[in-house]
Amino acid sequence: MRRLIIAALLLLLVSGVACAHRVHIQPEVGRIDIKVYFGGGDPAQNFDVKVYRNVSGVESLYAEGKTNETGWFSFEPTPGGTWRVVAEGLGGHRAETVIDGTVMGGAGSITGEVPLYLRVIAGIGYLVGLAGAATGYMGWKARKGVENDSVP
Amino acid sequence: MVHISDGVLAPEVWIAGYMVTGVLLAWTLRKMRAYDIPRLSIITAAVFVASLIHIPIGPTSAHFVLNGFAGVMLGIFSYPSIFIALTLQALLFQHGGITTIGINTVNMGVPALVAHGIFKLGSTTKIQRKEELFGAFAGGAAVFLAVVLLSVALLTTGREFEKVVMLIAAAHVPIILIEAIAVGSIIAFLKKVKPEIIGVKA
Repeated sequence: MRRLIIAALLLLLVSGVACAHRVHIQPEVGRIDIKVYFGGGDPAQNFDVKVYRNVSGVESLYAEGKTNETGWFSFEPTPGGTWRVVAEGLGGHRAETVIDGTVMGGAGSITGEVPLYLRVIAGIGYLVGLAGAATGYMGWKARKGVENDSVP
Repeated sequence: MVHISDGVLAPEVWIAGYMVTGVLLAWTLRKMRAYDIPRLSIITAAVFVASLIHIPIGPTSAHFVLNGFAGVMLGIFSYPSIFIALTLQALLFQHGGITTIGINTVNMGVPALVAHGIFKLGSTTKIQRKEELFGAFAGGAAVFLAVVLLSVALLTTGREFEKVVMLIAAAHVPIILIEAIAVGSIIAFLKKVKPEIIGVKA
């Protein structure tokens, strides 16, 4: 079991530097430029992009096209309304975001994301908890067995 | 790659995915005992972080899957292991979708069960270094099969199938080779230091 743990830990160490395959959309101001990229920053090339304009709850397709080789797609917005951008690409990858007035006013960045390493630690924490619970249960059963055996 | 996002598949497809996963989870979990869980947790941790290692290939990128590794190490418990790993990936990395956890588990978990079968059958043959050879074969085959199942799932969206299959398969050739070598090497290592872990008599 100890050797198995070492083998698994080696695998975990190798993976420490890499990043997730999540697909992001980052809006910017002006002529609206959107960047589609995988977690870790690799551009999502040739993704189908559809831009929907929402005015007073009525949504219609406003622009569509594909991202270029650096993952960018641009469109010229008409004032008013909000924009829903959907990017879809090879292998079942899809991302969606809504660009509203606050983003068009200049706050064009995605914030509030927990760092990747913390999310990795959180996931491993759950698994350690699961293993711990099972080990605790086995210990409890073993102890119970010993106590029962000691009863005359 | 291999993880399908939310909103790509029709509801009947991802609901079917959850149903198949439900049946397979019920079958495998009934056979599980508490002493299996610590080992399952360790392998699941490896599968959970494996998808973070990715290689950009052409217009897309492919990442490690380690479903064959899980199949060889955990047997039928690789299915719940992959289910847990994918759930954590979806919740913590937004990698894959929530609605697609079922179908993604089918796409990666069924090949893990096949990898277990390949390794188990291979271990009964009389070939020299059979564990290493069939371990490597199982490791590579599981990724390949995952690509095939992913492509079949995407076929239901009714578009770009041939192009998608070819591109996804091509993108995964390095992953298939690396995982085959990795699983073969791990089996060779374990066979030397702790053969009972992989069911080999010392």
